[in-house]
Amino acid sequence: MVSRYCDARAVTVLSVTPMKILSFVLLFSALAVPLRAQTIDDGIMMTAGSLQTGEIYTRDTWNQYWEGTLKRTNGNIGTITTQSNALSAVYGFTNRLMVVGMVPYVWTRPSQGVLQGQGGMQDMTIGGKYAFIERSSAKYGALRAIVAVSGSFPLSSYTPDFAPLSIGTQSQRISPRLTLNYQTDTGVYLTGTTSYTRRADVTLDRPYYFTDNQFFLTNRVEMPNVADYTVAVGYLKHDLNTHVTFSQQTTQGGGDIRRQDAPFVSNRVNFSKIGAMAMYPIPKINAVAFQFAVAHVLDGRNVGQSTTFSFGFLYSRAAQRRLIR
Amino acid sequence: MKTFALALTIALTPALAAAANNDPGAGSWQMIVLSSPTQFSVPAPLSTTSIAYQTELAAIRSAQAQITDGQRTAITYWSKGGVLAWNQLLLEFVARADLPPAPRADGTYPAPDANNPFADPMFPFGNPPYASRAYSYVTVAQYEALKVAWYYKYLYNRPSPSAVDRGIKALVPTNDLPAYPSEDAVVAGVTVEILKLLFPTMVDEINAKAAEQQMSAYLSGKASASDLAAGLALGQAIAPVFIARAKGDGMGAAGSPAGIPALSAATAARGEVPWQSLEIPARPPMLPLFGKVKAWMMTPDDVLKERPGAPPSTSSGQMARELAEVKDAVTHLTREQLAIVYNWADGVSTATPPGHWNFIAWPYVQQSGFSEVRVARTFALLNMALHDAAVGCWDAKFAYFNPRPSQLDPEIRTVIGLPNFPSYVSGHSTYSAAAADVLSYLFPAGAASFDAMKEEAAISRLYGGIHYRSDIEVGKTHGKRIGDYTLRFALHDGADR
Repeated sequence: MVSRYCDARAVTVLSVTPMKILSFVLLFSALAVPLRAQTIDDGIMMTAGSLQTGEIYTRDTWNQYWEGTLKRTNGNIGTITTQSNALSAVYGFTNRLMVVGMVPYVWTRPSQGVLQGQGGMQDMTIGGKYAFIERSSAKYGALRAIVAVSGSFPLSSYTPDFAPLSIGTQSQRISPRLTLNYQTDTGVYLTGTTSYTRRADVTLDRPYYFTDNQFFLTNRVEMPNVADYTVAVGYLKHDLNTHVTFSQQTTQGGGDIRRQDAPFVSNRVNFSKIGAMAMYPIPKINAVAFQFAVAHVLDGRNVGQSTTFSFGFLYSRAAQRRLIR
Repeated sequence: MKTFALALTIALTPALAAAANNDPGAGSWQMIVLSSPTQFSVPAPLSTTSIAYQTELAAIRSAQAQITDGQRTAITYWSKGGVLAWNQLLLEFVARADLPPAPRADGTYPAPDANNPFADPMFPFGNPPYASRAYSYVTVAQYEALKVAWYYKYLYNRPSPSAVDRGIKALVPTNDLPAYPSEDAVVAGVTVEILKLLFPTMVDEINAKAAEQQMSAYLSGKASASDLAAGLALGQAIAPVFIARAKGDGMGAAGSPAGIPALSAATAARGEVPWQSLEIPARPPMLPLFGKVKAWMMTPDDVLKERPGAPPSTSSGQMARELAEVKDAVTHLTREQLAIVYNWADGVSTATPPGHWNFIAWPYVQQSGFSEVRVARTFALLNMALHDAAVGCWDAKFAYFNPRPSQLDPEIRTVIGLPNFPSYVSGHSTYSAAAADVLSYLFPAGAASFDAMKEEAAISRLYGGIHYRSDIEVGKTHGKRIGDYTLRFALHDGADR
């Protein structure tokens, strides 16, 4: 069987699917959700000339959230469900350089209260990654180091000012990332990845707002930047790829949700979460793989304690030159 | 402070472009609460040639020689005028206080307690009626205090330190206004005392701002130590009149939910669907007795006289049509309509609709060249109208106890938080019409703009899914009639040029 990846000892990090409680967390889902298993933040590189496209559905729910650091429920929203359908594409220019892109449609719904769920095209993400170190030895296994950068920008004029039902933050973002991947001959692998997301100001439809104990007389909101990391332990052999992850996101500023207040677009959203993912080619249709993932928030701040399920299909078209060969 | 550095971007025109008219006759303008300036005594100042006063001047020269960057920043900040600066601070205090109490575990809601303001929930909940009252007390007290100050300024005619002593630099534009008693200290004195009552958790910040205001007046060559001391004493002497009024104006009882069951039953007995809280757990309505709180320009009989007629019956064809209109609007909002909804939302954690109308007035005030006492009059008139609009609106809301659209049709899903009080008439519409009425008189050049903003603020509530068209249309005419009470006062108060 021909591997769909340029190196069978590849790694996928289960990217964090944040509970999209606070509109703002959507930021991360946007980056992470749909790119699973072929993403900007995993240890995989594509074969030169090969293309992978995917469609992933994600369902994220929470009924408890952290109002600042106070964990609570809220009868006026009940359970918030955020769903998305995302299309993605990955293309390998060379064995060491690839690009990724994805567009999600996101929709939200509260289970209680009078508030209206929102829906729409969220943010497009495009990025590139380059494996600047590739080392392997029979004795010690293989090591790969990757630098990546991705950018996101809103695809529609959805409001960022209706958290937790807004579908996103409207903030343009750019994230440099470093990923290390170590793989043994047994198929077991370890991956660590970290990024720092710079976020552009957001413009509201109102002339002032109060956050972080200050009254701002402007419609412009400065967005704090975001740091995150993920570690993964996985197994990849014969195109079965499975792993478990631990992730943490830390926002570098922003205010807490005040008592009984609504979330605000620039809140300090932190969380840690665990996840698991499995991906396997559908028998007899080797070009298509099925993927399933689950994640759960362990602890957080200004964020919902969400549980996220996602599944999808990934279609791979091998490099032409390989077909010729 | 970052916040108000930003405020300067709102109105770029330098505040002190030219004080065209110091309004020397303001001491005789009609009072609202006080009886006359001579109700308060201000002792005659020392002569500018006295040794004691010369010593004060020497102290200013010395302080100016050692001025710090922080002090210069403060002088710039307060140079927009103390009344305007305090108005901007007041919006921030309201936004900070504008948080509803969280429910207890048993589903009940605690009430903020003025005697225990730091508890959860903090006192006050700066909701729209509370805010309208707070804005009005601060601005009316400032206005009344400045009229008294103006009386004594022109009685004693003692110039400012920078006018007396060429060795003292005028660090803000000068205007020949007599310095004794200092208008900055009068404003600081009266404002601090009233704010302590209204926003007790913010006392430290309020005191710091007042000290900074007086320090700025001193260092900029506007006021000597004795100008400030006399002003502060005057402001502090006037404040108790307003504090006593506030303690007896009915606000203390306005939050009582005791009458709600009877009100609900009476509404049902009329054949109407009574309002219910749609919050989960159900929350008692916001300030059910605010319609009984004392107004500024209206008697209780006036409030009743101006109460609008009943809304369309909840079982009528008209109500069904209006309900359908709301549902259609909020289900098919354009992006522009959604922007209008959010521009005017003024919900939790905001300066509230009355604060928004103060905000709208800022650039006009900054460009007006008005004297400080006339600026105070501007805000006092605006906020009396807004407070009276709140009283009239709440009177109507709890007279008819009309349900919100989402209560009659649970399929109506809103794009902003649903206000937890009856629907008829729309507060935004009443406030905005009253405010536009008064501002159009004060700044005729802005009349078309104020009217357009009023229309937009009003219809935003239908787009948001929280008000019927009747709430809005009737609210606007109600608000205009209420604004006219303040207008009739303004036309004959002696200040109209």
